[in-house]
Amino acid sequence: MGKRSRLAALAAVAIIAAACQSGATPKPTPDLPKEIGAGEGALNLVIWAGYAERGEVYPEFDWVTGFEKDTGCKVATTNMTDSNNGVSLIQSGAYDGISASGDATTRLIAGGYAAPVNTALFKNYANVFAGMKDLKHNTVDGVNYGVPHGRGPNLLAYNSDVITTPPTSWDSVWEDGSMYQGKISIYDSSIYIADAALHLMTKQPDLKITNPYQLNQAQFDAAIALLEKQKANGANYWGSYSDQVSQYASGDVVTGTTWQFQVNLLQAEGAPIAAVLPDEGSTGWSDTWMIAKDAKNPNCMYMWMDHMMSAEANGQATVFFGEAPTSQQACDYAETISPGHCALTNATNEAYYDKIWYWSTPQADCADADAATTCKDQDAWVAAWTALRGG
Amino acid sequence: MSTPTDARAGPGTRPGIARRLAIWLHPRQGLQLRLLLAGPLGWLAIAYLGALAILLLNAFWEKDAFTGRVEPFAWTLNAFRDLFGHEVYRTVAVRTLIMAVLVTLTDALLAFPIAYYMARIATPRVRAMLVIAVLMPLWAAYLVKVYAWRTILQGNGFMEWALSPFGVESPGLDEIANSWLVLSYLWLPYMILPIYAGLERIPNSLLEASADLGAKAGATFRRVILPLVFPAFVAGSIFTFSLTLGDYITPDLVSDAKFIGNVIYDNSSLGNLPLAAAYSLLPIGIMTVYLLIARRLGAFDSL
Amino acid sequence: MTPEASRPPTRGEASSAVAAVRLEGLVKRFGDAGTGAGAGTGAGDTSGSASADTVLAVAGIDLDIADGEFFSMLGPSGSGKTTTLRMIAGFELPTAGRILLHGEDVTDRPPFERDVNTVFQDYALFPHMSVADNVAYGLVVRKVPGPERQARVADALRMVRLEGYDRRRPGQLSGGQRQRVALARALVNRPRVLLLDEPLGALDLKLREEMQIELKAIQQAVGITFVYVTHDQQEALTMSDRLAVFNRGRIEQVGTPADVYERPATRFVAGFVGTSNLLSGETARAIVGGSGTFTVRPEKIRLAEPDSQPAPDEASAMGTIREVVYLGPDTRYIVALDAGGELVVTQQNIATSSMEALSAKGRTVRLTWKRQHNLPVGEE
Repeated sequence: MGKRSRLAALAAVAIIAAACQSGATPKPTPDLPKEIGAGEGALNLVIWAGYAERGEVYPEFDWVTGFEKDTGCKVATTNMTDSNNGVSLIQSGAYDGISASGDATTRLIAGGYAAPVNTALFKNYANVFAGMKDLKHNTVDGVNYGVPHGRGPNLLAYNSDVITTPPTSWDSVWEDGSMYQGKISIYDSSIYIADAALHLMTKQPDLKITNPYQLNQAQFDAAIALLEKQKANGANYWGSYSDQVSQYASGDVVTGTTWQFQVNLLQAEGAPIAAVLPDEGSTGWSDTWMIAKDAKNPNCMYMWMDHMMSAEANGQATVFFGEAPTSQQACDYAETISPGHCALTNATNEAYYDKIWYWSTPQADCADADAATTCKDQDAWVAAWTALRGG
Repeated sequence: MSTPTDARAGPGTRPGIARRLAIWLHPRQGLQLRLLLAGPLGWLAIAYLGALAILLLNAFWEKDAFTGRVEPFAWTLNAFRDLFGHEVYRTVAVRTLIMAVLVTLTDALLAFPIAYYMARIATPRVRAMLVIAVLMPLWAAYLVKVYAWRTILQGNGFMEWALSPFGVESPGLDEIANSWLVLSYLWLPYMILPIYAGLERIPNSLLEASADLGAKAGATFRRVILPLVFPAFVAGSIFTFSLTLGDYITPDLVSDAKFIGNVIYDNSSLGNLPLAAAYSLLPIGIMTVYLLIARRLGAFDSL
Repeated sequence: MTPEASRPPTRGEASSAVAAVRLEGLVKRFGDAGTGAGAGTGAGDTSGSASADTVLAVAGIDLDIADGEFFSMLGPSGSGKTTTLRMIAGFELPTAGRILLHGEDVTDRPPFERDVNTVFQDYALFPHMSVADNVAYGLVVRKVPGPERQARVADALRMVRLEGYDRRRPGQLSGGQRQRVALARALVNRPRVLLLDEPLGALDLKLREEMQIELKAIQQAVGITFVYVTHDQQEALTMSDRLAVFNRGRIEQVGTPADVYERPATRFVAGFVGTSNLLSGETARAIVGGSGTFTVRPEKIRLAEPDSQPAPDEASAMGTIREVVYLGPDTRYIVALDAGGELVVTQQNIATSSMEALSAKGRTVRLTWKRQHNLPVGEE
């Protein structure tokens, strides 16, 4: 029925997309655009929820309307539920660009779905913090495949009416999970396996986990076992930010992993929800605006990437979502709407971000040069996550 | 003398092209039928069977684990190997199948008294109102109904309020029983209507004859009503069974337990189309077998 | 006002015995709100207090049907005969009155607690069962042991001449065959009273006439009381020992076929049983020479030349042939009387051809008949 035809449509789209992009391997000397031409009038984006606001949540947060007026590019957006979903959407060939996290960027580059960009064409690129440029998840052999949007950690949220002392560790969602039986809120994505691995780095050093995204069989099994225990404690899994917001608001959950974005929304509603970065660190993300290889509106996408590095847009967007801005100018602008924002998000504190393991893609070769080591790949992670969720 | 404007073209004038075509087609009824059906059948072949064929092919195509790129015509059984390699896919399939059977039985039990009352007891006015009442939920959007159930079931919802005086906790949005409850509710009209039609078709005189020949209500029900209305049950079950088998939104929204549809949807939206395609062959196979059995039981005479 | 409702049966042997079916003051009003509330209203007021959506189907019936009798209930549709039958079967509960079967009050008993069986107008055969299973149904639900059951089913099928059809489904049978299955299914239970609701209504004329003879023969063979509902007066006259003529929820007359045909108690009976050749008022005075209403059966009247003289024991009237209907064995003439009114005359076509008969239209004729065939008709 609906499902079947939908699947079939997806299948058809995938084939067409694949056929269109045959022979798409990154070239050593990319043929970069020399200038930004006239806008095409439209722009189709895959985004994280909250990355393209037009004042619908709060009137003062609007960095799309002005862009549309200035460039004539009408912006349409689709929220991705996780990076896997974002990659899949871009593969469909229907979008011009994406705000991809590190676990998506590498796959999009390797798969030839993302195009290299000429950063010289962006007037705002010069302002970007040096530490946010040429990151290894969006730059290959010195060629940039996008521009930064912002970064942040996955946080531990808690209901301050129930948990009165602010927690300092992730234990409340793992070992102490039974205290909040059935009221733990967990991100519904295979990438969350890394959060279990991160916790094991502290709790079980003998597993010798050096990177929570590259796990050998034993490490992977330990992480899954930990997740099974969490599930047995009645974890609630959220796929979209709105699911989680309504679960916290209704009291169905009291603690769990979250983004600053949901915490902001809940606090604005007056819900007693707070969030912390626990001592053992966290997973996180550093997001990149990428342009699709076969973008139908490349000029609009270039204008959008430039726009998202501007002080106003980047300032607003990072305050709205609760993440770190990418330039000093954006930081300064952010301070005008949310004083203390840059300090709160540690925008310039690289030491803080050393504790953050940015999302990246699990690879069979462990993403290293050592041929002796093998790790569980992306498919294995997804299959394990399906098993955990479905079993 | 016929003029060129004469609508009934006389023997002297040459009829218009459309008319000549109509005259030529008149004795060729097979061709007429084929022309008439060419559109819908062509659409069916391309949009439905074509899509299904691509789906089938996808199950045998290679996918790059890292980039997610699907290589068309790169034949492999990897998707099936994954499917049989992980116990979860078996668990989910069995769960979905059990749920489909459970929802079907529940709906059959609920639908019969309602349909019986509508068909055989209610006055015409009450009957018309009941038919509307049964059809009404079908006019509401699927999602609206499922979200309504979410508000009933979730914390601080109606269920909690209703159960708390008895010391029973709210079921929350995790229980697999929620899926059973909501799916049974959603598909109930599809069971009521065929049974209602089946019951209405039983002439009153058959029931009178049964009583006349000495059968009490129970025996009449067992020996006359049930056998006559059974094909209608099977017809209704095609809906309840297949709709449950294919549903993924309700299980996603009201419970934590995944169905076949969720796994297919997840894998397709997360980029593992070959696996999704391979898995979707399972419900297609189950439904094919089910429909063959249903046809043997005479269900299609009751649709 | 029902005339002679409880007249003793003509077959003397049953007169002293308890009636097979006795109906006492039977009333059925459809669309009644509550049961029992105000059910005791007199059977008389058809039009009076009844609200718009209630229908008085049976308006007070008293009747005795003797054991072993072939009894017909004759009347037009809506006259209450089928409702009466359905109350005897137990499908409808009477609004007032009592039903006794062999002296036992069964008024409130369900159908399965009554020793009667019914042959339905649409046969009501179970489509999902074979012929044998249909016939065995009553025995199965009454838990008659297998061997006896099979023997009785075989007997019943033999009686209706359907041996060898036991494996068939009703859908594979002709109308006449289905009719026989329905009969066998009822008779196999050996009820003391068999109710038949227009059982031959759906058959074509030839088959109907054959079945009439067969039904009568079966009834005589098994000796069961048959209560037979029909709207076909010819059928009622040929088959019945006695019959009751129904009209608007009441019985107009009960009697043997000869009684009812030759001595109609009311104007309605005269009209419904046979053709209504009524002479009344001035016409009656002029022709019959008496006051009141009289009827003359069409086959008793002779067409004669206008100048012929009637015999002394004959009545006579002048008229003009207005219409001629050629019926094959007979011809029907509709004659407009000079004295007013019309009479229908049927003549056997003994020596008449259709051409001759049809050319009679418009001729002036003298009608003559024996005075003894002037039948007085009771007023309603």
